[in-house]
Amino acid sequence: MNELNVSAGSVLHKVYRDVGGVPERIVVEKDAKADIVILALPGTSCDMKIDVELVGEGAEANLYGVYVCDGNEKVKMAVDMYHKVPHCRSRQLFKGMAGGESRVDFYGKIIVAQDAQRTEAYQENHNLLLSDKARIDTKPQLEIYADDVKCSHGATIGRLNEDEQFYMRSRGISLEDAKVLQMISFIAPVLENVKDDAQRESLLSEYESNIRNIIRNM
Amino acid sequence: MSKDKEILEGLADKEYEHGFVTDVEQEFIPKGLNEDIIRLISAKKQEPEWMLEFRLDAFRRWQKMPLPQWAHLDIPEIDFQDIIYYAAPKKDEDRPKEIDPELEKTFDKLGIPLHERAALAGVAVDAVFDSVSVTTTFRAALAEKGIIFCSFSEAVREHPDLVKKYLASVVPVGDNFYAALNSAVFSDGSFCYIPKGVRCPMELSSYFRINAAGTGQFERTLIVADEGSYVSYMEGCTAPMRDENQLHAAVVEIIVEKDAEVKYSTVQNWYPGDAQGKGGIFNFVTKRGICKGSGSHLSWTQVETGSAITWKYPSTILKGDNSSSEFYSVAVTNNMQQADTGTKMIHIGRNTRSRIISKGISAGRSQNSYRGLVKMLPGADNARNYSQCDSLLIGDRCGAHTFPYIENANNTAIVEHEATTSKISEDQLFYCNQRGIGPEEAVGLIVNGYAREVLSKLPMEFAVEAQKLLQVSLEGSVG
Repeated sequence: MNELNVSAGSVLHKVYRDVGGVPERIVVEKDAKADIVILALPGTSCDMKIDVELVGEGAEANLYGVYVCDGNEKVKMAVDMYHKVPHCRSRQLFKGMAGGESRVDFYGKIIVAQDAQRTEAYQENHNLLLSDKARIDTKPQLEIYADDVKCSHGATIGRLNEDEQFYMRSRGISLEDAKVLQMISFIAPVLENVKDDAQRESLLSEYESNIRNIIRNM
Repeated sequence: MSKDKEILEGLADKEYEHGFVTDVEQEFIPKGLNEDIIRLISAKKQEPEWMLEFRLDAFRRWQKMPLPQWAHLDIPEIDFQDIIYYAAPKKDEDRPKEIDPELEKTFDKLGIPLHERAALAGVAVDAVFDSVSVTTTFRAALAEKGIIFCSFSEAVREHPDLVKKYLASVVPVGDNFYAALNSAVFSDGSFCYIPKGVRCPMELSSYFRINAAGTGQFERTLIVADEGSYVSYMEGCTAPMRDENQLHAAVVEIIVEKDAEVKYSTVQNWYPGDAQGKGGIFNFVTKRGICKGSGSHLSWTQVETGSAITWKYPSTILKGDNSSSEFYSVAVTNNMQQADTGTKMIHIGRNTRSRIISKGISAGRSQNSYRGLVKMLPGADNARNYSQCDSLLIGDRCGAHTFPYIENANNTAIVEHEATTSKISEDQLFYCNQRGIGPEEAVGLIVNGYAREVLSKLPMEFAVEAQKLLQVSLEGSVG
């Protein structure tokens, strides 16, 4: 099994361009921190499943993911976030869009064990459905056995906001550019977490050209 | 904090006030379940042949169905052969038309008047005691407007066309294990038909009471709102305190035609079992409505405080264009109670809208889950859903869980879901204490405020009751 151990007190930052390389299990020890960014570019189908276990007090895990689908991709992402001890924090942010005839399945569960008090766990999954042949299912879940916790999740599936488009068009931005801006700014909060400036910039421009392509074919 | 703990514990210790047993002579059929028992139930109710066939078909299907295991519940094994499927209070042979004074007293004690009194003219009641309907009030007044409100058994005899047309049209016989069981053995329940363009002048209500030991209650309710009509329907229930678990498996079907509106409210207060988790009702019900015509509206409001185990998902199929539905729920679990409850919103028509507000409160060692499905089918253009599920934890040995399923296959549909889990914040408690509000009162205040959005949707007759119940259910759980 592809496993990753973040030892006590250490900090790990990793960007996975290849979803297949994402470890199946990530264990975060006392006062350690894991920052993981997962990128699925157009044309990538995947069936990802990660278990993240926070096993030492003060551990922190941040998972960020983005997926852009425009053909017949099948993107499946599943995250189980286990808070096993008190005073841990986790954050998950997954954003993506499905066009063409693609299929997106997101599943994410936060499990807070009994006595894992003072847990802070947040999860968000936001989706844009770009075509009427694409389909998105999402199952964000909370399973909580401790009371002194702050946990929340949010999930949306929607379309590009027309008011925003109108605002931009009334200021001389073409509809196509407006859509590009909307979609870029939609996934930007995930890409922001890529720490290396050069890598982030190159990823942004890569996604931008992908998005332009999608809009042209819409 | 220790003071808070005492208060919450005090809350939980409060006795279940409807836990008494009525001493009336009752007739039972033998224990167990087989085709002969079903024929016997059908014969007792003097049902026509088609109804018996319906039951037998359901029974044959039920036998082949597996028990549902997917809920986040720990259900002890139920011996379906160890249940009495029909129990009815005996009628006085000299005065068959009159209500047994004992029964009258029982319902009076529960606050359900069986006599039409001027003071309570706003509510018509169908009172169901174990397997039979005792009486239905205000029938004449309702009949003037063409409204049919009677027990299900009567409806089968007197309005077979309507029953045949709508029965099992929303919850098919083989829909799920407990719906199939209900279809095979259902005893009584309410039937309600609101004709075209009629606004029902009073609240309709059913009150279900389990009394006999060793029995199960399997009621069936069917509500049909024809074009442009309106009805507000309320349901209440209680049972005696016993060490055994009793099964309650009901089916409720609601049909809402074009431009009609149905408001369905439940205050569920079955006996929850004692603090050690002994006894209590297993409440496994299937409730579903269909917004059949365009512009129709169905609203569910539920306050769930009772039952040892609750398994219940009032759902709406939004078939008509521009139809809308709402689900407002407060579910409270304490001690060893378990609840897995929520809703399903299936969007089929264009411009359909749904809204889900669920407030869970778990205390003691209870487990409280929200489970919901929002599904946008390809034809649901511009459909819209908003869901909010909040959980409040009181005590460090309880659990609160959220399991939403969101499926979208239409790119013009928008679905939003958010959920939070937290405990009553110490800041809020401190704020109240500082202003001279004691910890217990403060918790009551905060919980009521937390649930207000739902409670405010209840009809007035229910809202007061529900607020009190909330307080009582949480008694002894502050910590």
